[in-house]
Amino acid sequence: MNDVLYLAWRYLRFNRGKAAVLVGSIGLILFLPAALQVVVRQGTQALTARADATPLLLGAPGSATDLTLAALYFRPPTLEPTRYAEVEHLAASGLAQAIPLHLRYESSGQRIVGTTTDYFAFRSMEVASGRRFAMLGECVLGASAAEALGVGVGETILSSPAGAFDVAGSFPLEMPVVGVLAPAGTPDDEAVLVDLKTAWVISGLAHGHDDVTAPGAEGQVLERQEDNVVANASLLSYTRITPDNLDSFHFHGDPAGFPVDAIVVVPRDRKSGVVLRGRYAEPGGEVQMVVPRAVIDEVVATLFSIRNAILAVSLGLGLATIATATLVFALSIRLRRRELETMRRIGAPRQRVRAILATEILMVVATAVVLASGLTLLVSRFGVSALRLLGS
Amino acid sequence: MGRTGGVVAALALLVLGACGGAETPGSAADAAAPAAPTTAIGTVEATNYPLAYVVERLAGPLLEVHFRAAGAPDPAYWRPTADQVVAMQEADLIVVNGAGYEGWLKDVSLPTSRLVDTTAGMRERLIAIESAVTHSHGTEGAHQHTGTAFTTWLDPTLLIEQAHAVAAALERTWPEQADLFADHLAALVADLEKLDADQAAATVGAAERPVVFSHPVYQYLAKRYELEGHSVHWEPDESPGAKQWSELEHLRDHAKPEWMIWEAEPQAEIAARLEEAGIRSVVVDPCATPPADGDLIDVLRRNAAALREVYATAM
Repeated sequence: MNDVLYLAWRYLRFNRGKAAVLVGSIGLILFLPAALQVVVRQGTQALTARADATPLLLGAPGSATDLTLAALYFRPPTLEPTRYAEVEHLAASGLAQAIPLHLRYESSGQRIVGTTTDYFAFRSMEVASGRRFAMLGECVLGASAAEALGVGVGETILSSPAGAFDVAGSFPLEMPVVGVLAPAGTPDDEAVLVDLKTAWVISGLAHGHDDVTAPGAEGQVLERQEDNVVANASLLSYTRITPDNLDSFHFHGDPAGFPVDAIVVVPRDRKSGVVLRGRYAEPGGEVQMVVPRAVIDEVVATLFSIRNAILAVSLGLGLATIATATLVFALSIRLRRRELETMRRIGAPRQRVRAILATEILMVVATAVVLASGLTLLVSRFGVSALRLLGS
Repeated sequence: MGRTGGVVAALALLVLGACGGAETPGSAADAAAPAAPTTAIGTVEATNYPLAYVVERLAGPLLEVHFRAAGAPDPAYWRPTADQVVAMQEADLIVVNGAGYEGWLKDVSLPTSRLVDTTAGMRERLIAIESAVTHSHGTEGAHQHTGTAFTTWLDPTLLIEQAHAVAAALERTWPEQADLFADHLAALVADLEKLDADQAAATVGAAERPVVFSHPVYQYLAKRYELEGHSVHWEPDESPGAKQWSELEHLRDHAKPEWMIWEAEPQAEIAARLEEAGIRSVVVDPCATPPADGDLIDVLRRNAAALREVYATAM
């Protein structure tokens, strides 16, 4: 038997170019559907896990998918924001914990997530270094965000304008980093977490400035009336919140009317969840309540149909590859007629020659299977990171 | 979303989902485990002494109560440090007075699900204070920094409502102790109702007997018992300036008050000069910090006695 293996191996080695092409093409055709299956399975698991961990979402009416993508994956919100009063209503109902999310701004490409400290407990986040945000203006970075921004505890980051034409709206705020989260393998890793009020400061709804009513502020006063002081353009808002100017920060308007992009709703129990869904079920309301798992299931169903289409194409490609490989082997045997004749003349039985040819084919297929398995393993290990890079 | 949109969303989710990992469902009811009655089952943060007292009365030794502003001269103007805020974030409940008492709340990050605003349910009973000067800048309209009178606990009926709010939060967080909280609440309410009756009896006819309040902190007391009073800004340990004496003289000529109600015992010389002007001094302690002697109820009883003295001897 060793002689059969030896001769097959020597042949493949001598014709290494042809063997490599065969191994590559067969391996690839095995790898593609397997990798697709792995990626879809892992993606689906991650999607449903994140959705399962988020019982309900409340937001402005519109696409439930867009709301869910924004709240779960911190995608740029496309729906109109809803009012903070909805958070207060939910909390006052006693039926659920309401965690607001403000998602309008970024810092060098990393999403700034304005929320409350309840979010840390809700997502079971662990602070790897530093602490949670405690004072207005502070931020905590997800593990990947810290890496991407190249900053750590004690350093600062700057919020970016909301868009190219946002020359006067948002507030470029310099925020000290007070904590970095441990990696969680979730979109939270990519986030810059701040207090909701800090997000409102960035959006210009709250700000701090010198006291124009104080004596000595004449240089910043355009007009002083009996009961009103009009400041001139030299009065600038602070771009960093410090212990010295913290007291000067104030909100303009009733925070109940301030924006939030989504509200994570965590019912106290199953019954409370049903009651809440009933309350917000009326169509045409100012807000919509969605079950993230149901939304994700719909999207996953679409995902499966895409996967099935790709698998069908792969099957066709596979059959074509097998036919081509069969042709290659058949032609190869014909081209090797003199070589095989020589083998028979020097005493090799016909069965032995067939065994050598079969072993060559087996070696090619086995190598292709090993190659496909190796590549699939790599995808299962690192494909997620690669997709994350593609997605970012 | 159309079919194409669905496909795009699905592909986006495939990429997004790859970022995710396994998670466990969150729960709002992750509060405290059933308690051993003899040991502390949780911690509560209170932002003034009356609320700390209420929590202690309702829960006794079951809960560890932190009142971090206890050492501050006036907890209304206390500001927590970042470390103190971090410590407060760990509490099972954070009980605040509301009504603008905690001006620092806008500057800190506390878990809203565990924050109990004890005056949230009685907004219509709160007394608004408006600053005189507005200001405007940029494209925004004129605005002013309004305020609310915050010494709500000086009206026992309001304190009863606050105690109910605290009890409801305690029951929500530790439902297994609901009966105990309810029993303790009943006892506290009985004490406060007795105090209310005493103070009401002590202040009969107060509307016709003007007094001077040394500080504008008695709004709720005055409203509850229809006290006719005018507030000045005098400190018990600081000699008033000429302008302040002049202001008082004007007030005396105009309203003819016979008593000045102080937050704490005034300096002897101030009291003597007031006495010369025909105005006697009496202490009605707002009790925002732990008293040196007794507890909140003791202080409120002493306040009731002081009011009895004022209105029994006036005229």
